[in-house]
Amino acid sequence: MLTGRRNIKVRTPRRIHNEDVDFDQSWKTLEASFREIKKKRASTLSYEALYRHAYKLVLKLKGEVLYTRVLAHERQWLSEDVMQRIRETTSGCLTTRNQADVGASTAMAARAAGEKFLKALRDEWADHQLCMNMEADVLMYMDRVYCRDHNQVPVYYAAMSLFRDCILFADLGVLAQNAGPPDVGQMTVLDLLNTVLLDQIQMERDGDMIDKHLLKSCVYMLEALHDPSTRLPQDVVPESSLYDTSFERLFLDSSADFYATEADRVLRDADAGGYCRYAQRRLREEVDRCRASLAENTTSKIISVVEDKVIMGRIQDVIDMPSGVRFMIDNEQLEELGLVYELNARVDENKKPLVVAIQKRIIELGTEINNATVPVSQPTTAGPSEGGGEENEKGKGRAAKERPANVQTMAAIKWVEEILALKDKFDRIHRVSLASDQFMQTALTKSFAEFINSFPRSSEYISLFIDDNMKKGLKGKTEAEVDTMLAKAIVLLRYVSDKDMFERYYKKHLSKRLLMNKSLSSDTEREFIRRMKIELGNNFTGKLEAMFRDMTISEELTTDFKRHVASLGDPDPKRVDLNINVLTNMTWPLDAIESWAALEDENGTTSGRSKHCIFPPEIDKVRRGFEAFYSSKHSGRKLTWLANMGTADLRATFSKVPAGGGATKEKKHELNVSTYGMLILLLFNSVPSGERLAYEDIQARTNIPSDDLIRNLQSLSLVPKTRILIKEPHSKDVKPTDVFRFNEGFQSNFMKVKVVVVAGGSSSTGNTVEGERERRETEKKLKDSRGFAMEAAIVRIMKQRKELSHSQLVGETIGQLKAQFTPDVNMIKKRIESLIEREYLERIEEATPPSYRYLA
Amino acid sequence: MVRKKHEIEAALHAENQEIKAGRLKEENPLDVSPDFEVLCEACRRGDLKLIQEKISAGVNINARDRFDYTPLILASLCGQFEVAQLLLESGAQCERDTFQGERCLYNALTDRLRNLLLSYDYSKATHSVQPLAAHISALLTRNFPQTSDVVLVSVSESIQAHKFVLAARSPYFARKLATSSSLCSLRLSDAVPPQPLKAAVEYLYFEDVQRFQSPSENEEDFLNGLARVERLLEIENLFENTLDSVDRRVARQKREEELERGQNQLEAWFRENVIANKIRVNRGQAPKVRWNRENSVFADVLLQADEEEHVPPQNTSDLNGGDRASAPANSATEIANTKVSQEDIRQFSGSSRKSVLFPAHRAMLIRSEYFLAMFSSAFREAQDSDYLHVIKVACSPEVLEIVLSFLYAEKADFSLEIATDVLFAADLLFIDKLKVKAATVISTLGYGNASTTEATNPRGVTDSDDVINIYDIVRAGWATRVHRLEEFGARYIAQRMERFIDEEEFEELVAESAGRIQHRQETDTVELIDDIRYYLSERFRLRFEDSGLDEMMDETVSSAEQATPAPEEDASDDAAAETQQIYAPEVDGRLLPGAVRTLDGEAAGDEFTQDAINYQILLRKIDDLLDRLKLEA
Repeated sequence: MLTGRRNIKVRTPRRIHNEDVDFDQSWKTLEASFREIKKKRASTLSYEALYRHAYKLVLKLKGEVLYTRVLAHERQWLSEDVMQRIRETTSGCLTTRNQADVGASTAMAARAAGEKFLKALRDEWADHQLCMNMEADVLMYMDRVYCRDHNQVPVYYAAMSLFRDCILFADLGVLAQNAGPPDVGQMTVLDLLNTVLLDQIQMERDGDMIDKHLLKSCVYMLEALHDPSTRLPQDVVPESSLYDTSFERLFLDSSADFYATEADRVLRDADAGGYCRYAQRRLREEVDRCRASLAENTTSKIISVVEDKVIMGRIQDVIDMPSGVRFMIDNEQLEELGLVYELNARVDENKKPLVVAIQKRIIELGTEINNATVPVSQPTTAGPSEGGGEENEKGKGRAAKERPANVQTMAAIKWVEEILALKDKFDRIHRVSLASDQFMQTALTKSFAEFINSFPRSSEYISLFIDDNMKKGLKGKTEAEVDTMLAKAIVLLRYVSDKDMFERYYKKHLSKRLLMNKSLSSDTEREFIRRMKIELGNNFTGKLEAMFRDMTISEELTTDFKRHVASLGDPDPKRVDLNINVLTNMTWPLDAIESWAALEDENGTTSGRSKHCIFPPEIDKVRRGFEAFYSSKHSGRKLTWLANMGTADLRATFSKVPAGGGATKEKKHELNVSTYGMLILLLFNSVPSGERLAYEDIQARTNIPSDDLIRNLQSLSLVPKTRILIKEPHSKDVKPTDVFRFNEGFQSNFMKVKVVVVAGGSSSTGNTVEGERERRETEKKLKDSRGFAMEAAIVRIMKQRKELSHSQLVGETIGQLKAQFTPDVNMIKKRIESLIEREYLERIEEATPPSYRYLA
Repeated sequence: MVRKKHEIEAALHAENQEIKAGRLKEENPLDVSPDFEVLCEACRRGDLKLIQEKISAGVNINARDRFDYTPLILASLCGQFEVAQLLLESGAQCERDTFQGERCLYNALTDRLRNLLLSYDYSKATHSVQPLAAHISALLTRNFPQTSDVVLVSVSESIQAHKFVLAARSPYFARKLATSSSLCSLRLSDAVPPQPLKAAVEYLYFEDVQRFQSPSENEEDFLNGLARVERLLEIENLFENTLDSVDRRVARQKREEELERGQNQLEAWFRENVIANKIRVNRGQAPKVRWNRENSVFADVLLQADEEEHVPPQNTSDLNGGDRASAPANSATEIANTKVSQEDIRQFSGSSRKSVLFPAHRAMLIRSEYFLAMFSSAFREAQDSDYLHVIKVACSPEVLEIVLSFLYAEKADFSLEIATDVLFAADLLFIDKLKVKAATVISTLGYGNASTTEATNPRGVTDSDDVINIYDIVRAGWATRVHRLEEFGARYIAQRMERFIDEEEFEELVAESAGRIQHRQETDTVELIDDIRYYLSERFRLRFEDSGLDEMMDETVSSAEQATPAPEEDASDDAAAETQQIYAPEVDGRLLPGAVRTLDGEAAGDEFTQDAINYQILLRKIDDLLDRLKLEA
């Protein structure tokens, strides 16, 4: 040839093409070796030699024949040798199933037979795996080259499937000695295996010890094998294992039956706590079982079976049991409650039954508190001592017992404290038993809000509670305690829906605290306002802060004024010192104070009321001095004097104080009296000692509103400890016909004497519960201010939107006002009408739905 | 992420500073040696064979020439895909974020090249010694199959180790172990602190030094201990390399140096102990060789390779394969001769047949999955015995030596002569990298003296000698599933199409290729033919391009077809002769008569036309061949 390869330098191996391989011979060797391997005599075989046989066969493109032969060999081995051994162990396994009430010995025998069967199966499986591993090692070249190129399953996996086909799917026929039910009929090894496994699990549930490892090994086997019937043509979804398709299903079904019966029984026999503990134990057991004997991914399935059978549908019964949730709450069975919660949470994300039960209980308990308080708060009710003594160890004042107002205040505080105790209780339940569940928290809050708001005086009572704490309660408490108190108050506040009402009360109470200097710590006051600000926003606290500001400014003003007076020279020793509080009209609830005063006037004298009482000259001089000073600083401002709010310190000389043995001596006392009291007492300066002044005289010369006058005279002449005036005739009441004179023989153990003005109505001494009339007044005012707030909101909305349908407008209005109070729809309608009348809005003609337009 | 030019320049400047300061080793040193110049030139031209030779000769492929070109940049610039592939496989660097790496990338002539370069980016590519190092490091923690043969005992620690690794890597251990080879535990003096000792052993086992950061609480103690261990156990650079390196590249270079040093140590030890101790015995005696477990080279297994015979015994009945032949026959003629009297030859050669036994270490052998399966199994080879097992490996001693050298030191340099044997042995033993290496050797050196570039040889290689039997190579490629060899074969045949087209064996090969495909039923085309057609078109394309002769060619062909309904199948002459005979008249009709006569180029009046015709003839012949084989085209 022209192009003949004359000079081929490199020889290439020709052996693969020339060396013939005797397939049968090689295969015989391999097969013999495989049998040796199965007899566990592999240690004498040479891996190298066997590998080389397989290698050559594959290299000579005999891979396919080899592959088929190997599998045929395995099939034969399994269905003959191995199956024979398995068959020997199958007898007697089924007895437990079929004869439930046989004696213990038979059960034991069946159990032993079952275990023997499982063991045999497990061992054969392990052996098969081991041998196939070795054979696969030998056939490695076939796996890598032939199987990969021809898309064949590697020999190891193919052989595993053979185990399934030849052993597990082998028909056992009707087991001879098992006379059992006819429907058992034909049984495969797999069926038997499932049955035995289920029996074992049943035994464990009944409290027997079983060989968990044995079970687990069998489960591993089932997991490793795929169910051929689940193979899809597209090969997309991975086949599911025999475990999934065969055993697990049976297991779940039988468990469902078992638990349905057992749960019924336990529910009949046990109390709620016991049932919960039972459910809990079973759940835990199933999880353990899945881990120790079965497969992890069964856990969620069996759990849902148990949940379905044991919890779902029964949790309501458990909660409603006599020993149910109500009982647990009342007896503080937090652990049991926790169990109920856990169980309920498992089946229902919203825990509805439990929520309903707890909410019901909260409202019950809350209503109880409300109802207990209502009678106490009636002024006529006797016997408040019992409740008050317990709750208020601070002592709301022993002397207060006779005074209905104070009793009511105490009741109010008791109410708050009981609610706080209830709240504490449920907080503890929530924390300990309800796993601080957010959803539960909302439900609890809702219930609390519901019964608190159902109590009409809640705002007032809460404010009173704070007032009480600010004035007395906090004395000697650590910062942390104060902090807790504040937090509690805020929590309560959160429940209140009519925030504006609370604001009104709080302002009133705060103003009195500030003016009377009753507050223990202004830091605490400010802190509380800060918290309210966080909770309720700037709007809410703006005025309260302004009140504080006024107080500070007033202090400076007083100092300035004193300096001013001092700078005028002429230090008059008789000069009256003045401490002044200048209050901004808008921020302080002065109207309330004054109007109450006005109200009093109406049923007092009809002589016409005058706000301006008459000051004696020395006082008036100071007053005018200050007015001049103030207007020099802030021109254009008008000062109104509120004598009913002030106090005065007087130094009084009593010349005929009995000093033992009929002798008298002169003694001085410092008297702290209200401003009106001062006016009255100063009158006696101007008359000779021993002279008497008639009631009408006093009234004419001081122009004090008659009610205030009466009360001041009462405290000055009737209260034994502060009897600075002597009334004639001697009676228990002050009448306009009475005559008074200065008590020069006044006696007191103290240098300083505080004259407390008798409380009544809008008492200036402290904050107490409102009387019915005051209350109506407050509500009326509240209604008015709400009306304004609504109108403002409506106008704001319409200004922005120009046109809006009725329902939208109402909706938005409610949305805007929700933070302050719960608006009444009818009231909104009325306000809209009123705005239309005043031509802020107009109806849009023929608009559907009915709409309004804003008129600029 | 593409970096801006000024950034790269700044990086380059910084790098130069570092190099000048001696902190960084230059990765692309200037090389003006003639050898390197030849390499660069070969890279430009795409001369695979020359490049392979130069690489084997040890020319630094990461050096640069006077114009700052590295071989890889040149190959990339000139569009030599195969060259770039070869260079990268041989360890040429193309690291992004370096000046040279980026240059290489933006120079790439084609997208195919660019993607190739990117796929070899440093983050993915491993240093060629890395697999070896990883294996040895893993030996420390691998406990199945059991390979350790010595326990190092210090004050509080005991470490399972391998004598041969210790001896190869540390002179101290080498001396210590040489004196007492039967030792199975080595008690170190109490002066050796345990923590640093552990670190030192890990270092000897190529653990990445960056990884064993010292325990922070007593760092100073640790480092002091390390220094002491370095002195006591004579481990070079231990201390220095264990210190943190801030610069990633400095750390990498240090590590690479250390790996190379270790590789050389292992190789030297392998040569001096394994190879030097191989024994040549009569084959019959090989299984009877008794080696004690305690031997001076710490071997725990003997590998037997039978020497080649002049006869391939056909004996398949011997089950244990003791006498199995593994040597290939030299040529077909010899087979023909010997087949006659097999039995005689067996008897005759019985006494003279020799085997070579290599002492070896399981620890290294299990780099091959074959040995791993063997030593992990419950078969005889994995059983304990009094004497070392003698395990036969079905290849010749020289091939086994290469395999061992690769397993021990990741080094395998071999000639084309035994490349196919190495290929088969590597396939048998599942050593993929060695397979690739063998395939590389075959596909680069197999062209013989012919240039591998189509451009220089448009008219095919007609006159050079074959160094290989291309049919065997293609078949070997199929048998060992190395696709690259099939491609190589197709290209090889395409270049010499005129010669092969009419050979019977070629027809057989095509039929085989078709058979493979039919079996898999993946596609209807014959892969080999597709490849050949591709390379054939490549070969001629360069001639037709830009000449506007495509149309002319078509016309020529159509007219030629009319004239000759069917080419003569039984033409035993070469294609050139046939062309001349059959087509010349038609061609003459269009061109000057007599101007174009043959393919041999003597009287090439119009080369283009001639080529076009030749191309068509060859394609037609291929079609005919397929028709004959009843195959789809």
